[in-house]
Amino acid sequence: MFTYSLLAGLLFGLYFSLIGLGLNLVFGVMRIVNLAHGDFLMLGAFLAFWLFTLFALNPVPAIAIAFLAFAIVGLPLYYLLVPRLLRAKDPEMLSFILFFGLSQVIEAVTTIAFGTSERSIPGDQLGHAVAVVAGFFAGHKVDTGPVELLGQTFPASWVASGVASGCAVLLVYLYLYRTRLGYLTRAVMDNREEAIATGINVHRVSAVAFGIGLGLAAAAGVFAPFMLGSITPAMGAEVTVTSFAVIVIGSLGNPLGTVLGGIVYGISYVFMQSYYSSWANLLPYVLLIAILLVRPSGLLGRRVRRA
Amino acid sequence: MPRIVRHVLLILLPVVGAFAILPSVYGNQLLLFNFMIFMTLAQGLNIIYGFTGYLPFGYVGFFGAGAYGFSLMVIHLHAPPLIALMVGGSAAVALAVLLTPLFRLSGAYFSIANLAAALAVFQVVSNPNLESVTKGPYGISLSGVFDPALAYGTALAVLAATIGLVIYLRNSHFGMALKAIREDPISASMAGINVVRERVIAWLLSALVAGLAGGVFAWYVSVFYPETVFSVEFTIFAIVFALFGGNATVTGPILGVVILYGIYNAVGISTPQYFQLLYGALIMGLVMFLPNGLASLLQRWGIDVP
Amino acid sequence: MSPEPSPLLAVDGVVKRFGGFRALDALSFSVGAGEILGLVGPNGSGKTTCINVISGLYRPDGGSIHFEGRSIGGLASHRLVHAGINRTFQVPRPFLTLTARENVEIAIAYGASREPPGDAETLLASLDLAAFADQPAGQLNSAHQKMLDLARALATGPRLLLVDELAAGLNPAELERVAIKLKELARSGIALLVVEHLMGFIDQITDRIIVMNAGKEIFEGRLAEASRNPQVVEVFLGDENAA
Repeated sequence: MFTYSLLAGLLFGLYFSLIGLGLNLVFGVMRIVNLAHGDFLMLGAFLAFWLFTLFALNPVPAIAIAFLAFAIVGLPLYYLLVPRLLRAKDPEMLSFILFFGLSQVIEAVTTIAFGTSERSIPGDQLGHAVAVVAGFFAGHKVDTGPVELLGQTFPASWVASGVASGCAVLLVYLYLYRTRLGYLTRAVMDNREEAIATGINVHRVSAVAFGIGLGLAAAAGVFAPFMLGSITPAMGAEVTVTSFAVIVIGSLGNPLGTVLGGIVYGISYVFMQSYYSSWANLLPYVLLIAILLVRPSGLLGRRVRRA
Repeated sequence: MPRIVRHVLLILLPVVGAFAILPSVYGNQLLLFNFMIFMTLAQGLNIIYGFTGYLPFGYVGFFGAGAYGFSLMVIHLHAPPLIALMVGGSAAVALAVLLTPLFRLSGAYFSIANLAAALAVFQVVSNPNLESVTKGPYGISLSGVFDPALAYGTALAVLAATIGLVIYLRNSHFGMALKAIREDPISASMAGINVVRERVIAWLLSALVAGLAGGVFAWYVSVFYPETVFSVEFTIFAIVFALFGGNATVTGPILGVVILYGIYNAVGISTPQYFQLLYGALIMGLVMFLPNGLASLLQRWGIDVP
Repeated sequence: MSPEPSPLLAVDGVVKRFGGFRALDALSFSVGAGEILGLVGPNGSGKTTCINVISGLYRPDGGSIHFEGRSIGGLASHRLVHAGINRTFQVPRPFLTLTARENVEIAIAYGASREPPGDAETLLASLDLAAFADQPAGQLNSAHQKMLDLARALATGPRLLLVDELAAGLNPAELERVAIKLKELARSGIALLVVEHLMGFIDQITDRIIVMNAGKEIFEGRLAEASRNPQVVEVFLGDENAA
């Protein structure tokens, strides 16, 4: 039970890292609190659902589609909302309220369009992809059933989510540390005023970061039907709170921290489900409050936000 | 005449008078009751947000605490309603005391943490394991205290007291100190203001208001689910009303409630999604174009809004 | 004028660290009642940090601060205000949505120390702000906001006033008025610690000065002697100071 929980926790942890990554990137670059983050995840989930239902498209390519679609949406959305916000006296607080409004709008529109019933995608869809990849490496056909890792069996979809999340995190790392745009992004994250002073087009960098942040949320959404259970338009709020817990635990603005935060959260999540399942719902809230009060700078300790 | 008397005559009396008389001419007492509750909540939020700048996204937590405090007193101790109401208010204040460490956090963090706290309280209260105490997710059904007329009257009294409190804040040094804290806590402390203490007092008052509103709500409806009294709708409403009306004024939240809740009732009750869409868009519009509310527009035109 | 035997303010070996950086490095000096002590030094030498520590914005990490014989290091700002200490801000921070009068009223209401400070009208008038009494502070220009900030500080009846670069941005006439005002305050028994870059202003109002560099005091004495001290000259080399 313990080993199972630990390994499952790791898989979930990677997934939660992916969830938190987009939010952390947006906050780190422009100090904006995107309260609609969970709703963009929900939109990604619904996109995957409809692609599957209407076109029988396997979720794996849906990941790329979701990412691209929302990254592209993010660019004009940034220019529409953010520059005005940054000119105000208290952009952090106002962004909070603004994106809260946006989350309500997204939730309402989605409910009107799709209704409140729960949707899901059969788990073997992801498993199929895993089997194809595994078969490629093994040199022979592999079953689409549960996967065995270190003596424990997990649904293939969990393993696929974990691995894919890990890859996504790696890609973000490569973007930030190996591309020019990523380098500029890190400069803006470090010190926005100085970045402006050195002539970096901060708005362009921020818009791209915003797009990537939304894209990551949507991509994480594709895995949501498998990792979080069935999807509904109202699921965004809890995902947002969870994302906050993840990035605050891992230290705001620090992408590596989000991975750490995700893993800590994932392991706690699975352990709660295994041992205290009736109180498991409390976890994100209690963790968030605890970390904000005990160590607000997060486990990696940077950027304290004190009143 | 002194400003405070003027405010009482121009604002408090007409509002109280209106709600006292209307039930006899307008049949939908529930609607009027809800109006009063929202007005009370908007003013309560005004105390903490308008005056100190902290926005508790989990404000509904105090409302729910008040409702459950009231209900548990009636169910388990068979307390008379007015006593139970005071306990409800105290429950909200106790929760607020528990949450005071959150003030160490700035702006958005405070809001998120407060939201998490309210959601946590909801989870605890609605947990099936606690069914014997809180009736868990199955909801509360109060018997023996159903008295809509008295509950309505009490709600009116709570509203009057709340408006009175905000009028006092608007005209007192305490209210000025809160605004100073909102503007610049460091400067405020160099004016001799004990920032932490004054802020906590405003916080507790704000929680008390929501707790009393929750308690009287529980009394009036007598039957409710945990989702009802912990619904994020209350927070959305209260925030939008306060935002729309403008902060730190007395009339702001009143105006906000009258206009917005009036529209809501005309348009949106039967179609909650459209309400959500409308209000979401409204919030976005307000933040983008009128972040200090309607009252600030009037103030810009030189009208001194009470 | 030499400091009195038991100084009003005694700063002794005060240390303030920010992470690994020592902003104040065992700083020591004292100020007597009715004295105007100038605090000068290049940018980054720790002058504002010094004021921030004495006025309670930061806790000291080492050393001690005594005011009227009481140890005050680490006390909260509002308690220091009640004890009789106040300060002005380098960038004035009045309460923008309150009127000028309300800015002063609130300080009188909440901050008055032992001595009754007088009423808002008188205080505003003494700083030539009477005309703006009913205007929101946000509408005042920066020079008037500085005076309002000073009014706020004085409204609490301080016996020690820390002045953080008041002269910047004031025209010669305003400078003259401020200098007269500060000397008047000193004559009434208030001790002043004045942080300044403008040497002419320092020369005009202070009795002696402290030169700071890298968190320590490197010179104490009269301004004229300071300009002959080789270490002081070296520290200021390359620093532009209008005299």
